[in-house]
Amino acid sequence: MGLRGKESTLVAENAVEDDDDVMDDLSGQESESGSESEEEDVKLAEPSKNPIYNRDGLIEKLQDISWPENVEWMHKLSLDIDQEKEVDVNDDLARELAFYTQALEGTRLAFEKFQSMGLPFLRPPDYYAEMVKTDVHMQKVKGRLLAQKRQIEEAEERRKAREAKRIAKEVQAEKLKERAKQKKQEIEEVKKWRKQRQQSGFPAGGKDSELDLGFEDGKAFERSSKKRPGVSPGDRSGGKAKQGGGKGKNMKKRESRNSKFGFGGRKGLKKQNTAETTNDIRGFNKGGVAGNKKRKK
Amino acid sequence: MGKKRKHSETQTVELTKKDEGAPERPKRTLLGWKDKEEVQKLTGSNPDSSHVFRNKEKVMVTCSRRINYRYRHLMLNVVSLLPHCKKDNKVESRSSKGATLNELIELRGCSSCLFFECRKHQDLYLWMAKCPSGPSVKFLVNAVHTMEELKLTGNHLKGSRPLLTFSGNFEKDAHWKLLKEMIIQIFGTPKEHRKSKPYHDHVFVFSIVDDHIWFRNYQISVPHNESDKMVRGGLDKMTLVEVGPRFCLNPIKIFAGSFGGPTLYENPYYVSPNQIRALEKRQKAGKYAKKVKAKTRRKMHELSNPLEPDEFADMWRE
Repeated sequence: MGLRGKESTLVAENAVEDDDDVMDDLSGQESESGSESEEEDVKLAEPSKNPIYNRDGLIEKLQDISWPENVEWMHKLSLDIDQEKEVDVNDDLARELAFYTQALEGTRLAFEKFQSMGLPFLRPPDYYAEMVKTDVHMQKVKGRLLAQKRQIEEAEERRKAREAKRIAKEVQAEKLKERAKQKKQEIEEVKKWRKQRQQSGFPAGGKDSELDLGFEDGKAFERSSKKRPGVSPGDRSGGKAKQGGGKGKNMKKRESRNSKFGFGGRKGLKKQNTAETTNDIRGFNKGGVAGNKKRKK
Repeated sequence: MGKKRKHSETQTVELTKKDEGAPERPKRTLLGWKDKEEVQKLTGSNPDSSHVFRNKEKVMVTCSRRINYRYRHLMLNVVSLLPHCKKDNKVESRSSKGATLNELIELRGCSSCLFFECRKHQDLYLWMAKCPSGPSVKFLVNAVHTMEELKLTGNHLKGSRPLLTFSGNFEKDAHWKLLKEMIIQIFGTPKEHRKSKPYHDHVFVFSIVDDHIWFRNYQISVPHNESDKMVRGGLDKMTLVEVGPRFCLNPIKIFAGSFGGPTLYENPYYVSPNQIRALEKRQKAGKYAKKVKAKTRRKMHELSNPLEPDEFADMWRE
């Protein structure tokens, strides 16, 4: 491909020159031959001799090999599509697009011709015959396309997960701030109430109907109704085992592992200070301690 | 098998039978039964051919020895695209390339030839020639992508006749016109060829960009439901999927004879790949020389323009 790139840069430089009457350009080309060795992209347009262009000979040969004039179009199946604009060779996308449009135009014209002649054009879907690429090859192509699609989807999912995590974090931060604010507000209100009470000299009875106490609706001592995990002392999973209540694959994983390797056992209840263990003095003073006599007891 | 009766014999028999008053038997031709009057009408209209035009083009496809794997696959792809071709063995061609190839073509009974010549395991040249006395063209092939690349996802019937589309600038000049005619004859599948399949489901694109001929092969895919009917409203939904292969031809020379003969056309902008490689090497070789030159230049410059003595040079000296 590198070769082609180099060639195309060489040729692109000459694109400005008209190659129809090359004889006339000879003088211009000869002057450049001297600077050939110095320049990188050399204009090698036959500096020393005329490029041969035997127009009559070409036309004669053309007449020789052409098919007779009245040959039907059906034999040739050739279509001429005019391009409106010049395409830059090095711009891959534009070039391929130009080819594609040319083919599309050609097919449309051909289709119209075929319709006017009443001949079949397209392959019906139930016509099975040998194709130019084998089925095995087409399966590989399909596999590659599917793999590409899967890659794209995974990338999308990962991006979405990242976004969701970020948003969740923000929401959490907001909630914490809310809570702190709420707490602060409540404390402020208690202080205010106390101050008010002080100022108005502790009236007896709780008839403070003028005061609108923000904290008296009894909601202050209510916690959120979400259950906090109640961890039992022997629980190895830290309370998370019961939480989802069989949430998807974690539970399945846990269950499968449990069945395979056995349940781990409760956490650390081997040694505990309970009533029985305190009163259990079986392990002490068994048959006179043979210790150091000199050591003060 | 019965004795083959010549046409002339049947003619005379019928003439004599005319007198007996029986109705004439229709004349039997290759294309079916034809009444005598019809045959006369046809021969009257085109006096040069007594039968309709039949495309009897046969292409011989060969390559040289020591061809690259990529270019061999390209040749095999071309063979699968043209049902009217005959693939031949590798040609050991050094000295008398033209004579050997011409003989081979005659031997196989072909009327044109596509010869893939690979030089130095790197460059592919394609010769397109019309056999007995026709012109021949030598191209340099670039940008080869074969059909096996997984990016080219289309597929079509093997041997179906392609639609050939040419860009408008094929009519601009004589040599392009000649090339166009040769391409139509070589790449177009003959109409009632034995190995050709009926429908038209792929398109060839030949377009001239930057004095190169670019080749593309697309599959026509139209979503249509009816089994045999043509598409009703689907012309807008027609899409093309690329089948491959892809290549780019750079015409080098056109000769009047087959693989030889007087040169009719020479491409002035053609630079042989050897020359390009030599140029690149020369550039790289020049790098060291340039560096040395730059160094000496700098030294001379410094000697000729000495610096002024620096006031602060002795400041930190002990």
